[in-house]
Amino acid sequence: MTVTDNRVVSAPGTAARPGDPRSPRARLSAFFDEGSLRLITAEDDSAALAGVGRISGMPAVAFANDARIQGGAMGTAGCAAIEAAYEHAVRERMPVIGLWHSGGARLAEGVESLHAVGRVFAAMTRASGLVPQISVVLGPAAGGAAYGPALTDIVVMSAGGKVFVTGPDVVRSVTGEEITAEELGGVDAHGRRSGVVHVTAPDDTSAIVRGRELALLLGHQGQMRTTEVTDRDLGDVLPESARRAYDVKPLMNGVLDTPLGEGSIELQAKWAPNIVTALGRLGGRTIGVIANNPLRLGGCLESKSAEKAARFVRMCDSFGVPLAVLVDVPGYLPGVSQEWDGVVRRGAKLLHAFAEAAVPRVTLVTRKSYGGAYIAMNSRSLGATRVFAWPTAEIAVMGPVAAVRILHRKKLAAVPEEERPALEERLAAEQEKAAGGLARAQELGVIDEVIDPKATRSSLAKAISTAPSARGAHGNIPL
Amino acid sequence: MAEIRAEMVANVFKVTAAPGDRVDAGAALCVLESMKMEIPVLTEDPGTVVSIDVAEGDVVQEGDLLAVVE
Repeated sequence: MTVTDNRVVSAPGTAARPGDPRSPRARLSAFFDEGSLRLITAEDDSAALAGVGRISGMPAVAFANDARIQGGAMGTAGCAAIEAAYEHAVRERMPVIGLWHSGGARLAEGVESLHAVGRVFAAMTRASGLVPQISVVLGPAAGGAAYGPALTDIVVMSAGGKVFVTGPDVVRSVTGEEITAEELGGVDAHGRRSGVVHVTAPDDTSAIVRGRELALLLGHQGQMRTTEVTDRDLGDVLPESARRAYDVKPLMNGVLDTPLGEGSIELQAKWAPNIVTALGRLGGRTIGVIANNPLRLGGCLESKSAEKAARFVRMCDSFGVPLAVLVDVPGYLPGVSQEWDGVVRRGAKLLHAFAEAAVPRVTLVTRKSYGGAYIAMNSRSLGATRVFAWPTAEIAVMGPVAAVRILHRKKLAAVPEEERPALEERLAAEQEKAAGGLARAQELGVIDEVIDPKATRSSLAKAISTAPSARGAHGNIPL
Repeated sequence: MAEIRAEMVANVFKVTAAPGDRVDAGAALCVLESMKMEIPVLTEDPGTVVSIDVAEGDVVQEGDLLAVVE
């Protein structure tokens, strides 16, 4: 396999686009490197077309709906074309990309088309975890065509894309709710509210570029060249006050070779933003980065963010992408809505995902890691490859003041109110000493090494590159 | 008109904007305190503050209105 460069994604093909730019051939040739498209199914009235081509030199398979024929509706023949794409991808172990623009199953074909669409879903599920699957939604993807992208690893949506099970007309006739297609299933609906879409793009061209970048990150992961990992001083991302919130993204930008949006790609950026998940490269090798973001919800874990991180961990594990986990978490978000939202069930997914993961997975505690969230963020007990801490880090069941308020409730209640803060402070200092802080954590072996923030990149790179490479033997169920 | 609502139960630690203020995207309207963290409430888009609906020391529940920005 010849790959031109694993870090630079050259422009997609701009060669002659015959006729209508919405034709599947035009879309496929625009997706692949110029002139590299070779069709593997016939151009007919099936409303779907599949081909192989190259993405910055890497071979891949793609299929596209034909929006000009019955709105891209999927019948037996169209579904067979998509199945052919999957067969080829699995046989040749290549990423498979879907360019979606379809109203769903063909009404005229009745149950036959439902059966065919179901076969596509089964093919996608069989391929799950074997080859990376990327969906790029360019137009409406409704009904059966909504679940196609949803079954894949990563969904990119152009501003013109819409995803829904039932469109605005059906919603109106059944529930009386008035809503536009854009509001119901556009980029804001799925980028922010539902979490269905991982990456949104302002137009088709940038959606295609994102799709290519993601396919390359997962399909051509590269070798880590530790000698090329230069250190950067990352300590100054933390505010002086330990209580102050800050945006964790500059830290992620500093850890990765290139910042988010410039070769590194954040997934589900606006959904559950209290945890950040991103694919990028370290020393040229693809890694997945997970970080609590104190700027949102104080960086607390809650039901959605736990589920978001769990899916990301499982995806990375199934493709052998090592993980860097940047921890600054005050705990799980308390509240009735959280409990009733299933924070226990959904939080358990994150515990399961990390404990199961076979890939090298390295944790760095930058500031604090408390309670149940400490365990969940790839702790030693869950099998972390290596656990680092910055000198500022604190690991505990909870913050010292919160701890003494529980441990010494009676003692605190017995003193007059004006004396309480001073007593709290004194007890908190004693508590901190007894709990032992970082030194105790190192003694216990739950922290391997306290590192200088200036040595963050090289420490992460060394820990990842010296761990045996491995890959989880499982699919990537869309949690 | 954007209604800014609390994402979590919290104390209002500080109010950092006033009605009539012109704010950039990402400006802090107020700072909430929860889980021992001071969490700024930021605007998504630039605009003018129409109202600040909380005062320092208030306890807000998830979903409570904090401010309106136009």
